[in-house]
Amino acid sequence: MSGHLSNRILRETERLARDPVPGISVTPHEDNARYFNVILAGPAGSPYEGGIFRLELFLPADYPMQAPRVRFLTPLYHPNIDRLGRVCLDILKDRWSPALQIRTVLLSIQALMSEPNPDDPLNNEAADLWKKDIARAKQMAQEWTTRYAK
Amino acid sequence: MFGADLDVKVPRNFRLLDELEKGERGLGDGCVSYGLMDDDTTLTYWTGTILGPLNSAFENRIYNLRIRCGSNYPESPPVVYFRTRIHLHCVDSHTGAVDPSRCAVLRGWTRQCTLETLLIELRREMTHPQNRRLQQPPEGSEFSAPSNAPSGR
Repeated sequence: MSGHLSNRILRETERLARDPVPGISVTPHEDNARYFNVILAGPAGSPYEGGIFRLELFLPADYPMQAPRVRFLTPLYHPNIDRLGRVCLDILKDRWSPALQIRTVLLSIQALMSEPNPDDPLNNEAADLWKKDIARAKQMAQEWTTRYAK
Repeated sequence: MFGADLDVKVPRNFRLLDELEKGERGLGDGCVSYGLMDDDTTLTYWTGTILGPLNSAFENRIYNLRIRCGSNYPESPPVVYFRTRIHLHCVDSHTGAVDPSRCAVLRGWTRQCTLETLLIELRREMTHPQNRRLQQPPEGSEFSAPSNAPSGR
């Protein structure tokens, strides 16, 4: 059923190209139209500001019934993102809805960068520091941004 | 569970993340296992272990392996080395490298094959009549890592 690219995916891809979201670039791979290179600008006012973050995004066979899969390729110090770049975000798991789109997922990830949730951690060390000494945690995140995302 | 839909190709990295999660949950009867080396974010360097099968020269021995999944995985098979010394027809007796031309699972590799099937099939090779009774090196000895072996970064 899912061999041909669904109209839904074509519509989303076209709209992302025609009407891009500021600070977000999404480019499909030439050999796999379900697989995208993503570039996110670190959100203003966050320790990731000024950084350029690369991600990969894949739409599984039963998208949009199932959430996209997303991974950071650029390392970042963040309580909800682990060392392999995996992201802990409710809408990518049990709170996914087919009404959400690639665009909303990426905006949510940007929002997560601005507002980490150290009570639901994937990187325990970063989450602990975020709760104990938020100034130091943000400084670490800023250092990683300078080291890896510029 | 992998590649059930032949028309939708799961890209290398997401495929390997799936394999990693499956390996972390634990595989079947526990006779083989694998894991990612040193949080390798490129998902390239893996370790594997095989518990030698009963009623063979490999019984009660634990074999450590190094596996390298290149950028073309899973279209192309991984490169596999034994770290633990072993005498097996498909393994180079000096380096521990598994010879793809002598190893059925590597020779016939398709994207449906996984690190789990690789290790299970290598374990099955140990029970093959030509291998089963081969005299084995002293337990616990290791191959000296050749310069091109996937031993880390």
